[in-house]
Amino acid sequence: MIISILIIPLLGGIILLLSSKRPRWHFTVNFLVSSASLIAAVIVLTQTVSGRILTLQIGNWPAPFGITLVADLLSSVMVLLTAIIGWAVAIYANKYVNAHQAGEGFFALMQLMLFGIYGAFLTGDMFNLYVWFEVLLIASFSLMTLGSTSRQTEGAFKYVLLNLVASAFFLVGIGLLYGVAGTLNMADLARKAAMMENTIVLQTVALIFMVSFGIKAAVFPLYFWLPASYHTAPIPVAAIFAGLLTKVGVYALIRVFSLIFIHDTNFTHTILLIVAGLTMLSGVIGAAAQNDFRRILSFHIISQIGYMIMGLALFTPLAVAGAVFYIIHHIIVKSNLFLIAGIVERIHGSFDVSRLGDVYKKWPLLALLFFIPAFSLAGIPPLSGFWAKLTVIKAGLDIRQFAIVFVALGVGLLTIFSMTKIWAQVFWKEQPITKEHRNTGNNPVWMELIPVAFLALLTIIIGLLAGPVFEISNRAAEQLLNHKPYIEAVLGGGR
Amino acid sequence: MELLLMLLAVFALAALAPLLYSFTRGNTGWLLAIFPFMLTAYLLLNIPQTMTGHSVQFDWMWIHGLDIHLAFYLDGLSLIFSILVTGIGGLILLFTGQYLGNAGLIGRFYSYLLLFMGSMLGLLWASDLITLFVFWELTSISSYLLIGYNHEDEQSRRAALQALLITAGGGLLLLAGFLLLAQIGGSFSFHILRSSGRSIQHHALYPLILILILFGAFTKSAQFPFHFWLPNAMKAPTPVSAFLHSATMVKAGIYLLARLNPVLGQTELWHMLISTTGAVTMLMGAILAIRQVDLKKILAYSTISALGTLVLLMGLDTKAAFKAALVFLLVHSFYKGALFMITGAIDHSTGSRDIRHLSNLKKSMPMLSVSLILASFSLAGLPPLLGFISKELVYEAKLQAPNAAWLITSFGVLANMLMVALAATIVLRPVFSGKSGVAVKHPPSAFLLVGPIILSALGLVVGLYPQMIAASLLEPALIAIQAEVTTIKLALWHGVNPVLLLSLLTFLGGVIIYILTRLYPDHFKKPLLSQVMKADTMYDDALDKFLKLAKQITLFIQHGNLRYYLFVTLLTISGLLLFYLLTEQMAITLPVLAEIRVSDMTLLVLILLSALMMVLTGSRILAIVALGVIGYAVALIFFSYGAPDLAMTQFSIETLSIIVFVLVLRKLPKFSRLSGRLSKTRDAFIALLLGGIITVISFLVMHQQPTKEASTFFTENSYTAAKGKNIVNVILVDFRALDTLGEITVLAIAAIGIVGMLKLKNQKGTSSP
Amino acid sequence: MRSLILNTALRFIAPIMFLFSFFLLVRGHNNPGGGFIAGLVAAAAITLYTLSSGVSYGRRLLQIDARLLTGSGLLLALISGIPAITSGQSFMTGLWLEKTIIVIGKLGTPILFDAGVFMVVLGITSNIIFELMEHN
Repeated sequence: MIISILIIPLLGGIILLLSSKRPRWHFTVNFLVSSASLIAAVIVLTQTVSGRILTLQIGNWPAPFGITLVADLLSSVMVLLTAIIGWAVAIYANKYVNAHQAGEGFFALMQLMLFGIYGAFLTGDMFNLYVWFEVLLIASFSLMTLGSTSRQTEGAFKYVLLNLVASAFFLVGIGLLYGVAGTLNMADLARKAAMMENTIVLQTVALIFMVSFGIKAAVFPLYFWLPASYHTAPIPVAAIFAGLLTKVGVYALIRVFSLIFIHDTNFTHTILLIVAGLTMLSGVIGAAAQNDFRRILSFHIISQIGYMIMGLALFTPLAVAGAVFYIIHHIIVKSNLFLIAGIVERIHGSFDVSRLGDVYKKWPLLALLFFIPAFSLAGIPPLSGFWAKLTVIKAGLDIRQFAIVFVALGVGLLTIFSMTKIWAQVFWKEQPITKEHRNTGNNPVWMELIPVAFLALLTIIIGLLAGPVFEISNRAAEQLLNHKPYIEAVLGGGR
Repeated sequence: MELLLMLLAVFALAALAPLLYSFTRGNTGWLLAIFPFMLTAYLLLNIPQTMTGHSVQFDWMWIHGLDIHLAFYLDGLSLIFSILVTGIGGLILLFTGQYLGNAGLIGRFYSYLLLFMGSMLGLLWASDLITLFVFWELTSISSYLLIGYNHEDEQSRRAALQALLITAGGGLLLLAGFLLLAQIGGSFSFHILRSSGRSIQHHALYPLILILILFGAFTKSAQFPFHFWLPNAMKAPTPVSAFLHSATMVKAGIYLLARLNPVLGQTELWHMLISTTGAVTMLMGAILAIRQVDLKKILAYSTISALGTLVLLMGLDTKAAFKAALVFLLVHSFYKGALFMITGAIDHSTGSRDIRHLSNLKKSMPMLSVSLILASFSLAGLPPLLGFISKELVYEAKLQAPNAAWLITSFGVLANMLMVALAATIVLRPVFSGKSGVAVKHPPSAFLLVGPIILSALGLVVGLYPQMIAASLLEPALIAIQAEVTTIKLALWHGVNPVLLLSLLTFLGGVIIYILTRLYPDHFKKPLLSQVMKADTMYDDALDKFLKLAKQITLFIQHGNLRYYLFVTLLTISGLLLFYLLTEQMAITLPVLAEIRVSDMTLLVLILLSALMMVLTGSRILAIVALGVIGYAVALIFFSYGAPDLAMTQFSIETLSIIVFVLVLRKLPKFSRLSGRLSKTRDAFIALLLGGIITVISFLVMHQQPTKEASTFFTENSYTAAKGKNIVNVILVDFRALDTLGEITVLAIAAIGIVGMLKLKNQKGTSSP
Repeated sequence: MRSLILNTALRFIAPIMFLFSFFLLVRGHNNPGGGFIAGLVAAAAITLYTLSSGVSYGRRLLQIDARLLTGSGLLLALISGIPAITSGQSFMTGLWLEKTIIVIGKLGTPILFDAGVFMVVLGITSNIIFELMEHN
C-alpha cells in the first residue's frame, strides 16, 4: 500500500508532463490524481493508526542493503496532511492557474513536488532522503519561477541557493555518517549509533544535519530564504510551500534527533531549545514589522516552527507529542491562510494591508473563513492551535523549563497581535480609495471557497475533537521515542 | 447533559442570529431574548436543588492523554453569576432591538452577544480548569468583536485590540498558572483540587502559580495597572458596555478568585496581593470617575472602582467578606446595568451623554428619571435600597479585615464618599435642574425602558425584603466557596453601630465632595494622578516602540543581501562544529605522507591549483576551465581507484557542463568585481575555516572501522541475485533503483524549470526594445 | 561555431557515438556502462551536432520531441517496477527472463529501468541544449 503513495503522484506528474499539449485537461487530471493520493493516504493511516509500522523493502532487497520505505504513525500522518493540502490546492488552483501555465507544466511540477514530499516522509534511508529533498527542492524552485517576473526570480534564486547549501551539508554529513557507521538505513543507524563507543564524529554529523535540516525547516538564524521567497510564489504554490516545505525539514529534524542522534541530548537538544526560542521570537518580531499579507504570514511560519522545535528539544513524550500536534495544526491552518490571502488579493487587487479593507462588510463568509484559521494560529480555544500550544507549554512546565515557556507565551500574545492586525486592516477597516488602486471587481467563487472552508472545518474539528488527534500525536511520539518496534519492523525481529 | 445542551443551544442561536435577523428585522431582539429568560427560569427552578447542596453535573473526557475534561457543574456560586448573565442578558437583548434599530451589521451583533452569553455561561459552569479557560478566552474574543462593532472607526478598533491584548495576555499567563496548578494538584478538576488545597499551598511553586493566575484575573477584571482598557472599551455600543463591561464579563476575574479560593486562598500572599490591588483599584477608579463628564466614562470608572472593591473583598478572605462580595456583586450588576441602559436610552433619545448638557429629564423622561434615581441611590448606598445593605456589609467586612483594617476601611470610606458625590452628579443636575430641558428627539420606547426599570426596581424590592435572597442565593454560594453551612441574615436596620456611623460619615463626606465639585469644577479637571492616567498612553508608547524595534531587528536579520545570508549560514555551521570540537578531548592523527601515492599527490596539487585559480581569476572563462580541470581530476581519481563507470560519467558531465556554462555565460553581463578587500578577506576566512573543520572531521572518520556489510552484500549478490556483473550499474538500477528513480525525476523537473525560465527571458526580450 | 570540418567530421562521428552509446546501454549491466553514461554520450553527440549544424538539425537528429522523450523515459522507469507488484512482490523487484541473449546478457525489468534512465538523460540534455541554443 505504501508504494501507491509514491506511484500515484509520479504517474500523475508524468501523465501531465506528456499531455502538455492539452492544458485544459490538466486541472481535472490533477484533481483526480490528488483525490487518489488522498484516498491512499487515508488507507495507509488506517493501517498504522493502531501502532503498526508498515515497511516495504524496495526491490525486495533486505534492509539495510536496499532502500526501505517505512510508514510509522508520524510518517502516515505527514503523508495524510500532504495529501489533504494537495487536494485542497488542486481545487483552489482552478482560478489561479491559466492554461498557459498549465501547459508549461504547472500541475506536473506540483505533482512531482508532492512526490518528493511523500518520499521524504516515507523513506527509511538517509541517502534516499537526500534524493527526495532534491526532488522537492528542484520542483519547488521551478514552480516558483514558472511565469514569474524578475523580482520573483530573485527570491527564488535566494531560495534555491541557500537550500542547495543545505543539501551540500546534508551530503557531507551522509558521507561522514557512512564513513563511521557503514550504513545509511535509519533503523540500522539507530542500532549502530546506540552501540558506538567513539561518538565524536557522530556528534559532528548531528550538528551538520542540524544545520542542514535547520535551513530546510527555516530556524533561526538560517531562515533567510523563507521571507525572501514565499511571498513571490503564485498563491496556490505558496500555500503548499507554507504548509509543507518547512515541515519536511522539521520532520527530518524530529526523525534523526529522536532516532539516531540521542546519545548526548544534553548538548544537542539544548542547542535545539535555544534555537527554538530564538526562532519563535525572531519570527514573530519579523511579522510585526511587515505590511504585506503574505509576508506577515511567512514570518509567522518561522515563529511557529519554533514551537515545533521546542517540542522536539524538550524531548519528553508529551513534548514530542506536542510537536506532532503542532505540525498537524500548523499545516492545515497556514496553508489555508495563504489561500485566503490569495482570494482577498483576487478581489481587492493587493496584498498590502494598508491598501486593503472592507472585506468584513462585503464578504462575511470570507471574513469568517479567515477568522477561524487566524485565531486558531493565535492559539484561541477551542481551535486546533490552542491544543497544540497547550501541549508544548505543558510539556515545558512539567519539566520546569520556565524560560522557554515564557518565550512561547509572549510569542503567543504577539501572534494574536499579528492576526488582529490583519483582521483590523484587511477585514474591518474601510478600504482607502486611491487613484492607483482599484478593486478588481471579482467576487469570491465557490471553487476557491470550498477548499478554504474544508480546511477551516478541519481546524474546528481538530479543536473540538482534540482527544483523538492528541491520541494519534501521543502514539506517534511513543513510536519515536521507543525504537525497538521501528528497528524490528525495518530490520526484522531476528537482528 | 442539560448544561451542555443549553450551552449548545445558545451557540446555535448565535450562529443563526444573522439569518433570523434577515427575516425578523426589528423584532429580532425580543425574539432572541426569549431563550435567555427561559434559561433564567431554569436556573431559578434549580435553586431548591442547590440549596440542598446538590449540583447538576456534566462530564465528558475531552483529551484522555492529558486528563482534560469538558466538564460542567452548577453550584451555588455559578448559579448566582449565571442568573445575572441570563437575566441581564435577556434584558439587554430586549434593549438592543430598540437601541440599535436597523443600522449596521446588527445580525452579527446579536450573534456576538449570544456568543458571549454562551461563553460566559460555559466559564461559570466549568468544573475543569481547561474548560474554564476555553470559555474564558472565548469571552475575550466576543468582547473583541463587540468593542470593534463600529469597525470602520479607528478608535473602536484600537479599543478592541487593546482590550484583547490585555485580557488575552493575562489569559496566557493564566493558562500557564492553570497548567502548573494542575500538575501539582494532580488534576484539572475543581473537585479534586479543592481537596488538595493545603498541599498546593505548601508547594514551592505556589507563589508563581498564584501570581500567574492573578494576572489572568486582574486583567479580566480591569484591576490597576491593567484598568485602562475598560474605559476605552466604552467605544462599544451601550448594550455591550452594560452587559459585558459592567455586569458580567469583568466579573469573571472575581468569579475565578472565589472559585479558586478553597484551593489557593487563606495564605499571606493571597491576602497581600489581592487586597492591595483591590484597594488601590477601588480608590483610583472612584477618583477618576468623579473627573469625567461623559456619562459612560463616569460609569466605566465607577465600575473599575466597584471591581476593585470586589477584588479587595476576595483578598480579605473572610466569611464576612465573601458575604459582602456576593451581595455587592448582585447590587452592582443591578444598578450598573440599569445606569448603562439609562445612559443608552438618554443618548438614544437626546443624542448626548454629556452630563453638562443634560437637564430636566424628570419632565421629558419621567419613567427613566425614576429608575435613574433608584439606581443612583443604590450606587450611593442609601437606604432603603439593596445598595445600602451591601455597603454596610462591605464596611463590616473591611472593619474585620485580618490586616490593616483601618487603612482599608478608610480607603473604602473615601471611595464610597466619591460614589455618593457621583450619584449626586448624575442625578441632581440632569434630572432636576433647568427649565427647558434638552430636546428629546424621540421618547424612549417600552423596550428601552423595561431593562432599566426592572433592574432598578430589583434594587428597591430586594432592599426592602433582603431575606428573599439570603437563603436561596447567598447561602448556597457561600457554601460553594467556604464549604461550611452558614445562615445569612440580611436587614436594613442593625441598630446603632460603627458601620452605621461610617455610613453617615460617607453620606456627609459625599455631599461635601459634591458641593466642592460644583463650586470648583475646574479644580477637578486638573491632571491628577498623572501617572495613572497615563497608563493608556504608555500602552501606545510601548506598542510604538515595539513596532519600531521590530522593524530594526527585522531589517538587521533579513536585510536582503544574499552574500550576507550565506555568510551567516556558513558561520553558523562553522561555529557550531568548532565549538563542539574544541570542547571535546581528542587526538587527530594525520595520515602519513609516504603512504600517499604519487599519482594521487599530483592530482591533489592539480586540484588545489585549479581551485586557487578559479577563485583568483578575473575571467569567467578561465574560472570555468579551472572548474573543469577539477572535475576531470576527480574523474581521474575515480579511475585510479577502479571505478571506470564513475570516471566516464564524471568526464561526460564535466564536458557537457562546460558547454552549457559557455552557452549561458554569453548572455550574462560583463564580469565586475563588486566586493572590496575586507569582504573578500572575510569570505576567504570563512571558506578556509569551514574547509579546515570538514578536513579535520574527515581525518577523524578515517580512524573509524565501520562494518563492510553493505559492500560485501552488494558484491555477493550482484551476479547471483541481481544478474549483473557491473556492481555500480546493479546498484543504480536494482539495489538502489528508487534513488535513481528520484534522481531522474530531478533531471526531468530541472529540464522543465530551465526551459520555463529561458522562455520567460525570451518573452521579456521581445516585449522591450 | 560553425565550421565545415567539424560539420563533416560530425556526420561520421555522430552515428558512431550513437552506436557507442547504444552499446554502453545494453552491456551496462555486466560491464562498464549503463543507462546514465549511455544517455550522456548520446546527448554529447546531439550537442556537438547541434553546436555545429544548428538546433533544427539537432532536433531532426533526435527525431522525437525531447520533452516527450524525457516523459516517456520516466514512465518506462516507473512502469518497469510495476510487474513485480502485480506478481505479488515488492515494487521494483527485478524479474528476469530465463534465456540469455548475446552481448546484453539476461533480460529483465532492471534493464527496462536502465533504458528509462537513458531516455531521460538524453531527453533533458538535448532539451536544455536546444533551448539554450535557440535563445542565444
